[in-house]
Amino acid sequence: MSPIPLLRYEIILILEYTRMNVCWVIHLKINQFDDTTGFWSYCCLCLLNSLAMENSPEDYKIQSFDLETQMLLKTALKDPGSVNLDKVSNIIVDQSLKDQVFSKEAGRICYTIVQAEAKQNNGSMFRRNLLNRLQQEFKEREGTRARSLQEWICFVTFICNIYDYLKVNNMPMVALVHPVYDCLMRLAQPDALMNEEEVDCLVLQLHRIGEQLEKSNGQRMDELFYLLRDGFLLQEGLTSMSRLLLLEILEFRAGGWVLSGTAHRYYYSEIAD
Amino acid sequence: MSDLARGRRRDGNNTELEDRSHGRSRWSHCRKRGVDGSLRSRRDDYDDGEDDTHTNSRNASFTTPESRGPVSRYARRADWGSQVEEEEMKRDVQRDMQRYRRRLLAGEVTQRERKTSSGSSGSCDSKEGENVEMDEVVLLRRQKQINYGKNTLAYDRYVKEVPKHMRQPGVHPKTPNKFKKYSRRSWDQQIKLWKVKLHAWDPPAEEEGGDADAKNVEELRFEDVMDIELDFPILSDAGSGTCSFSTRNLTLEDDDCGGTPVKMQKTETTADLDMA
Repeated sequence: MSPIPLLRYEIILILEYTRMNVCWVIHLKINQFDDTTGFWSYCCLCLLNSLAMENSPEDYKIQSFDLETQMLLKTALKDPGSVNLDKVSNIIVDQSLKDQVFSKEAGRICYTIVQAEAKQNNGSMFRRNLLNRLQQEFKEREGTRARSLQEWICFVTFICNIYDYLKVNNMPMVALVHPVYDCLMRLAQPDALMNEEEVDCLVLQLHRIGEQLEKSNGQRMDELFYLLRDGFLLQEGLTSMSRLLLLEILEFRAGGWVLSGTAHRYYYSEIAD
Repeated sequence: MSDLARGRRRDGNNTELEDRSHGRSRWSHCRKRGVDGSLRSRRDDYDDGEDDTHTNSRNASFTTPESRGPVSRYARRADWGSQVEEEEMKRDVQRDMQRYRRRLLAGEVTQRERKTSSGSSGSCDSKEGENVEMDEVVLLRRQKQINYGKNTLAYDRYVKEVPKHMRQPGVHPKTPNKFKKYSRRSWDQQIKLWKVKLHAWDPPAEEEGGDADAKNVEELRFEDVMDIELDFPILSDAGSGTCSFSTRNLTLEDDDCGGTPVKMQKTETTADLDMA
């Protein structure tokens, strides 16, 4: 079969899944294929892949990646032994530090890959590389914060998400407990409380993993909340939004990591206005 | 990077090489300096020193009198990847221990142990507490050694080929029982023998550098072999290539088909054979 001359065709396939309410847009450029057969096979493959992905209720939120990377991630989910897992974990970490939406949910895709690798060949290369990369970023967190508040916030979100999802025998990883607390304590420092984004990040994480974290180490949670009380009462220059967030989290924990009905109405109807 | 040709996995391979370079021989804990002259640091994995509460009957004069205060585990394994793996192993060992206890109580173990007991001194009853190894440090170390053996392609193939109820004692390797009381030397030897036995299920070498001499359990029927036309070029190579036809086949060796050895490269022969 003779190769197609170098014309670029861009074909857009739109697949809508009403159940999931997700719209997949796939750009395909066929100049990389030698013949039309190859191209259509690739199309079918992409379609099948998308279908396979959509059948699982989990939405991994990988739309922000380019197509090639998306394929790589999907392959990693199904056949981890066939891809370079170091590369995959680095891609995931890098993206988590840039993309706030992704950092909130990246734990899920990581968990699936870890499980898949363990099942396929009893390996834990992906997890090991992921954690060590995370550790590196953790060591440099102060520098990261000074350089870019966004990145720092993404990092905290990501590490908490990993703590939430990557469990060992259904227990959260002990190795992450202190680092997570260190991050949250940093967010509770006076200079950080002045930034609304940091306060917002702090309370979000506590909502998601506070209860588990307290079980892992109650004493540090107490210490954290001393700081939060002090911040709320004494910190000058806090925006009213920050004060609201802090008060809500104080009540939340006091209620056993659950907000009472009246409190819920107070806080959440207020915000809606 | 993966060393498939040697039938081993990445994980086990790397750490083992590391350990070997620090000379984990039996007496290494007695030595103050390593081969390169540098002072030995305490090594966790196969460290002989820390666990010898059970088996340490040597005089103090055997060891150099250096202070070996307890080193915190946190300092030794600082990277998160290793910490989590250790944590996982601990939990697995604890779960195994609970399972073993239950089995002991149910009386299953005592019966089976009596049949195939390898002559452990005295009674074969592993009554709780008497003959059961409970020290977590020892159990973890043993579990690590078992994992190295189980993390191989050979073990995978063995388990697939021979279901547990079909195992014949003596013929088929059996994983040493980490819960039984054994001396350190006895245990290490059992592990060694077990791993050697497992090699019988090594996969045929893929590329050069493969174990040309490894026993290949793949058996060929005589008819298959006779289908081969033996004037294929004989490639004398360092490795044996992916031989579907191994020299171990006894019928072949006996029936000297024209005197030509049968090692062949897979790439050329199988393609042709498929056509046929």
